[in-house]
Amino acid sequence: MHIVDPASSSAVAARTLAGRPRSLEGVTIALLDNSKPNAGVLLERVGALLAARGHARAVRTWSKPGSSIGASPAVIEEIAAAARVALTASAD
Amino acid sequence: MACVVLGTDEFIPLAKAQVTARGLPGLPVVTVPHPIGGIPAAAVAAKADAIVDSVLRGLTVDPGTGGQPVGGDAQVLEAPGDIDEFQTWLMERGWGDGLPAIPPTRERVARMLSATRRRPDEVAAILVPRLGRATLEAIAANAVMAGALPEHLPVILAAVEAVAEPVFNLQAIQTTTHPCSPLVIVNGPIARRLGIHAGGNVFGQGARANAVIGRALRLILQNVGGARPGKEDRATHGHPGKYSYCIAENEAASPWDPLSVERGFSREESTVTVCGSEAPHNINDHASTTPEAIVTSVASVAATVGSNNIYLGGEPLIVLGPEHAATAASSGWSKDDFRRAVWEKAVVPLARFAPENIERFATIYPEGFKDRPADAVARVARDWRDIMVVVAGGAGKHSALIPTFGSTRSVTRGISP
Repeated sequence: MHIVDPASSSAVAARTLAGRPRSLEGVTIALLDNSKPNAGVLLERVGALLAARGHARAVRTWSKPGSSIGASPAVIEEIAAAARVALTASAD
Repeated sequence: MACVVLGTDEFIPLAKAQVTARGLPGLPVVTVPHPIGGIPAAAVAAKADAIVDSVLRGLTVDPGTGGQPVGGDAQVLEAPGDIDEFQTWLMERGWGDGLPAIPPTRERVARMLSATRRRPDEVAAILVPRLGRATLEAIAANAVMAGALPEHLPVILAAVEAVAEPVFNLQAIQTTTHPCSPLVIVNGPIARRLGIHAGGNVFGQGARANAVIGRALRLILQNVGGARPGKEDRATHGHPGKYSYCIAENEAASPWDPLSVERGFSREESTVTVCGSEAPHNINDHASTTPEAIVTSVASVAATVGSNNIYLGGEPLIVLGPEHAATAASSGWSKDDFRRAVWEKAVVPLARFAPENIERFATIYPEGFKDRPADAVARVARDWRDIMVVVAGGAGKHSALIPTFGSTRSVTRGISP
């Protein structure tokens, strides 16, 4: 029996990941808090440990407006302009 | 900018699906033992300490491509011809809902598509989180599986287009832990023509149109949208309406204008409205004889500490039984009078919230929860106009309160023939 695929195709377009710095020395680390409870605690702790270990220049934090609302393109652009690497959290 | 995503192990399937759907399957996702929320800060810090090396690697080592994004064209697939074997085959692919499904053969899908003049390859919507292309053909295939008839297709199609509107926030509705699902409310002549039930046991079993329209939308969201239970669909409990959740408004029994007319359509136009809804919560009131008395019961069921609407806002939905509606409209009350009165009465004193929740809600909705006076109250909607009211159901002294996800707005769309 032949059936029509109920999943259809997806509109995903392949994209290229950003290149990675060889170390965190002198870079600014961005944290994007997803606004779930304790996400900020986790991210800031990881950010501080990374900064200390990798001699990063700074750690800066942004937040999503709510856990179920994505960060605006303007915020993403701001983060991209301000930092070389970023950490974010998904779910809780 | 090099990025790493942190996620708890329970949510890794969703995180992986997300990076794939965004075309970045190689994006590093670092796993943290679940949970992060609701535990002491020291325990969170310990979890942070354990992942620093992995995060550092993710930020400084080229992750490669991580494989190709999942995509490709829709296919015609070979499936078992035996109807019993077909059920197993479908479930193994994650395309079933547990109930028997009709095989979407090319012939059945073509018959379904005869209900529309739109092209089979036309994309009606892109459905998240998978960014699935909801072509007319794919919508029809799922409608066939759900047991729908060609005459149901225009309603299903309008519902799919409605949930894809940005204000509905489908991404969150599909992936949240909250128990919500799009409730489809049909207004206008098409409800009567198709027999979409609006009377007794309206949320229950027994009406074919309601069952198959709601089920078709769920299968489309699962299969095209890619919200598979336990994977991308992270619902803690879900609710029974996730199998099928479709009603018509009982316009004949309503003392007021129907929802569609409130939203700018005429009574002669047919519409669907989708709401990101919890299951119905019953409002039992066998004694009230005045609008004010009915409001007391409705407001009491609406105003609870553990509701999304209490801190996220949104549009809690009141489904008035016809007898309650008649009482609510007595003394000349309009629907606006009723919803304003419910909004004023449906309050929770902040003293009833645990301090941890006040602290959390204060960051999400500072106007409502931050540094408020001791006698302040929280409300079930930001504005009285956000309270939705429809009339449905049969004889009896019950109504239903349906909280919503909160960060979502209902969407009403006309149904094209």
